[in-house]
Amino acid sequence: MGEVEKVFISGLSEKLTEDKIITEKDLDSEFATEIIRYGGKDVMTCLQCGNCTGVCPISLKIEYKTRTTIKYCQFGMKQHTLNTRWVCATCYRCYEHCPADLNPAEVMIALRHIAIREGIIPPFVKAAAANLMQFGLTVKPDEAMIKERVKMGLPDLPQTKPGWSQVRKEVVAIIEATKYDRLLGITSKEGVE
Amino acid sequence: MTQPENTTDSKSSEKEAIGVFVCHCGTNIGGVVSCEKVAEAASKIPGVVVSKDLKYACSDLGQEEIRKAIKEKGVNRVVVASCSPRLHEFTFKKCVEGAGLNPYFMHMVNLREQCSWVHMKQPEMATAKAIDLVRMGVERSRLLTPLSPREVTVEKSALVIGGGIAGIQAALDIGEKGFKTYLVEKEPSIGGHMAQLDKTFPTGDCAICILAPKMVEVARNPNVEIMSYSEVVDIEGYVGSFKVKIRKKPRYVVEDKCVGCGVCAEKCPVKVPNDFDCGFGTRRAIYVPFPQAVPLKYTIDKENCLYFKTGKCQLCVKVCVNEAIDFKQEEQIVDLTVGTIIVATGFDAYVPLRRGVYKYWEYKNVITALELERLINAAGPTGGHLVRPSDGVEPKRIAFIQCVGSRNIKLQHKYCSRVCCMYSIKNSQIIMEHSPDAEIAIYYNDIRAFGKGFEELYHRVREDYGVEFIRGRPAKLTKDPLTENITIRAEETLLGKITEREYDMVVLAVGLTPAAGTGPIQKMLSLPVSDDGFLQESHPKLRPVETAIEGVFICGCAQSPKDIPDSVAQAKAAASGATTLMIKGKHIVEPLCATVTPELCLGCGLCTDVCPYKAIDLLDKDGQTKAVVTEALCHGCGTCAAACPQHAIAQLQFTDQQIASEISAALGMNNGAKDSAGGA
Amino acid sequence: MTYAYFFGCVIPSRYPGIEYAVRWVTGKQGLNLDVVDIPEFSCCPVPGIFYSTDRDTWLALAARNLCLAQRGKMEVMTVCNGCYGSLLKATEYLSEPKRMGQVNKVLSKVGMKYTGIAEKGEGTRRIFRPVSVRHFVDVIHTDGVMMELAKGIKKPLSGLKVAVHYGCHYLRPTEHTAIDDANDPVKVDDIVKVLGAESVDYEDKLACCGAGGGVRSHVVELANALCEDKFKNISSENADVIVTPCPFCLLQFDNSQKTFTKRGIPVVHVAQLMAIAMGADVGKLGLELHNVSCNPLLAKIGMVPK
Repeated sequence: MGEVEKVFISGLSEKLTEDKIITEKDLDSEFATEIIRYGGKDVMTCLQCGNCTGVCPISLKIEYKTRTTIKYCQFGMKQHTLNTRWVCATCYRCYEHCPADLNPAEVMIALRHIAIREGIIPPFVKAAAANLMQFGLTVKPDEAMIKERVKMGLPDLPQTKPGWSQVRKEVVAIIEATKYDRLLGITSKEGVE
Repeated sequence: MTQPENTTDSKSSEKEAIGVFVCHCGTNIGGVVSCEKVAEAASKIPGVVVSKDLKYACSDLGQEEIRKAIKEKGVNRVVVASCSPRLHEFTFKKCVEGAGLNPYFMHMVNLREQCSWVHMKQPEMATAKAIDLVRMGVERSRLLTPLSPREVTVEKSALVIGGGIAGIQAALDIGEKGFKTYLVEKEPSIGGHMAQLDKTFPTGDCAICILAPKMVEVARNPNVEIMSYSEVVDIEGYVGSFKVKIRKKPRYVVEDKCVGCGVCAEKCPVKVPNDFDCGFGTRRAIYVPFPQAVPLKYTIDKENCLYFKTGKCQLCVKVCVNEAIDFKQEEQIVDLTVGTIIVATGFDAYVPLRRGVYKYWEYKNVITALELERLINAAGPTGGHLVRPSDGVEPKRIAFIQCVGSRNIKLQHKYCSRVCCMYSIKNSQIIMEHSPDAEIAIYYNDIRAFGKGFEELYHRVREDYGVEFIRGRPAKLTKDPLTENITIRAEETLLGKITEREYDMVVLAVGLTPAAGTGPIQKMLSLPVSDDGFLQESHPKLRPVETAIEGVFICGCAQSPKDIPDSVAQAKAAASGATTLMIKGKHIVEPLCATVTPELCLGCGLCTDVCPYKAIDLLDKDGQTKAVVTEALCHGCGTCAAACPQHAIAQLQFTDQQIASEISAALGMNNGAKDSAGGA
Repeated sequence: MTYAYFFGCVIPSRYPGIEYAVRWVTGKQGLNLDVVDIPEFSCCPVPGIFYSTDRDTWLALAARNLCLAQRGKMEVMTVCNGCYGSLLKATEYLSEPKRMGQVNKVLSKVGMKYTGIAEKGEGTRRIFRPVSVRHFVDVIHTDGVMMELAKGIKKPLSGLKVAVHYGCHYLRPTEHTAIDDANDPVKVDDIVKVLGAESVDYEDKLACCGAGGGVRSHVVELANALCEDKFKNISSENADVIVTPCPFCLLQFDNSQKTFTKRGIPVVHVAQLMAIAMGADVGKLGLELHNVSCNPLLAKIGMVPK
């Protein structure tokens, strides 16, 4: 009750703005096609039944709703989906329950592809890719863990052996061949060989 | 019937005189193709004696030109270069026949759909193509054969398979028109699923109250013979004379002696769950499925009857004053010949998955809509008092979940079942009438209230009864372990919020699936089936009750999900189609069939394996096995002709030679010795 | 059938105890399966990052790993749901000839070519089947191996209440994974039963732990919130230990619980639990490296905590 009182008794709590209408210039008509190009199925078949949101563990916790993201994709509201691209846990429950056989998780993946290509790159992605180029693994070997491995009698980590430089070279070669490094703006020279 | 034999002999010994008629079709063809040029080029082809271009070949004027050419110029092969044969083939055949020429000497070349309409921007190339097409047509026309259609007699009797509302209406109509009708129903009584319903939408008419008079009427009709507790086991033959085998299952009660008094059932000690009440009620081992059953004859359920299981009891025998019980009764096989068949086998309700999202098999208080119909029906197991299965208490908060088993690609039920929105709306009205303080929510994806009075009812339940419509597909159902109340979690899409609400009972609005009994009938008749599993009609718009098999009609939910008025309308339509055949007493079969040259046939049987219509059989002819075509069943698909390793089978009007002649003409090669008039 | 160990990135560098457990259980002292190491395996690559940002790169890196198994005609045995999902999906993408061609163009730069494993066809025709990728649980849950497991139990874990967390990429999407029924999985529960413990049923057993898809790396509060839900459901059944076939889920449970509870439930990998029951040296399983102390678990089964 408190909020409503505030609005009506002491005046508007929101600022007056220009007419809040969305017109074609706010929309991107090619958005749905772009999503198909990056692996999402055709979002236009979505009936907006809301089953995906109902089973989504993320939708329970934050404002984000799976169905609404798909709606924005249908509509071409590219800007509105910018901040929701990295909260999907890809648990695929949405795909299991969708009656129209769509895969909202794959649509989120397609949105991530689009975001990356627009320069929106979360730091952890860059870090992991840089690690891969530097170490051949996305997780840096931990000195303390290497000691533990010796205690357990486990074989040496392949990364600590001389043959690993070949693996690293191959991984780097692949990343450079697909131009992934340029996409993310990282180089293999970021770390020590 | 002494009809001339149809062969591949093109009678090319007579001198051919080909007439070519190139139609402008207004500007449809003439606007792109130069018809004058085409007619001129055609006139130069050897054997062509008349070559004209016409503004509208199908008009009276145009047809008169064609007739004149036949009568006055001696034209004996006609090539009409115009639109698709699907439109005017019949017109031109009749025109040619009217001038005294065998209609199968008329050949159509498609210059519209296959030329002018697809090459609108390229008139010169279109004209060149048209000239080629006409030349191909002329070459083929040299090889056309004079065929004569077949006539088969049509028995003046019909078989209706399925005794639900559609089958009953069809049988009634045919019986009224004076034709003998056999109405076969596998349950002990006719009535089908409609007898299970409480009230019908949109008016609220009690289902059995409007159905029972029809059931009585059809039983009373002198032309209708109801064969209840019977199944069709085999169908052979073709339109006009279908040979049907029906198995009458033993009731162990003599129908002529049973008067339906019910004393036997009162005494019977065995109680089993009642299928009619969806397992909520019970019946005895000797039973009628419901009080208004037609015929009102008792039936003994052999699997549960104590006498059959242990040899004891026989209480029913002791109390039956008419001595109607006969444990020794055996099944009877009845052989019938009928002229037409109507398939009205109806639907089965969708059964929700085990371990599915809606937990139908795990939570007692989740029921299907058909079960709800029995619970709110005054003649049902609870006397019309809605109680919930877990504790028998009246539920106050009820949720309906729509589109269960329908509109779901993952389940391979892509279709909409058409009736569920309305029956949920109707049921919510009934429940609110009984308990005005109930709270009802309907979880929907779309509300389809398309028919007469439907939208008005939809409005009424919102306005007068406060039924809440929640747009969202429920994602999760959980049960309170103590109260057994069900909580539904769903995203309410119109609110944009995920909500959880508790209900006393949940009703799943299950969809309609093809009835289990339809499958065997479909196989017996080789009826095509649509993508959704229901029987397929000849044409979705213009021929909704006919099938690809002549003389066989479909109606009601066997064809696709629908409500009662639509089933009745289709039943009447199917009856009309069947009686049209039977009134005429005969049926013309198009002669475009396969034909076997016995001398070449080895009797290998490959053709019988590939024929989709069971129209070709291996028969013994003078000590040799030869393939023989049943023309009335043959659809002229040509599969047997293509499969025959001996080239012993030809598809009339589409023989290898006829097609090859067109190909040669297209490639600019002359057809061997045929570049002069006549010649063999 | 020879299996090639695929340990991924998390196990060797963060939870080497799981590696020890897997080697012990599948090795000569345990079930004696035919297993080899391929030291040239790189990151699978992790789907939350690579599959999310560039499918072509992801596929090429995955194909490189598959080529290594292809050389030796082995089946890849993964011990992680993420690696399983990533490599299995890669084999499906690679079954399209066009895709395979594109990937091989990239792989040619490192002198590799993915073809699948050749099987003898008719005459000179050779048929290639995709490289087979199996999850450790699936390998164990075959009739012969389960019987061996039952025979090899030295220390039945009677009285231990186990909450099984399957993890998302083991279960879904069903058309790809198909190890187990997505609504009613049983394989890990069966293994737990064979070990003598009790697998408790808890509310929303098949829910996500919250770590995957980059969520833990990007918005860790959200990941923790999902983990808290799982914790609440599990602890209301009084489970002694959480068992999972995925080290990333394990990492999540191990690190997330301290953000919302002081009395966390220990979490172990299926292989570690198997190793304990089969009589391995508990000290070598790296349980002391887990953030949530495993001492309550050891105490419950009558072992001295380290």
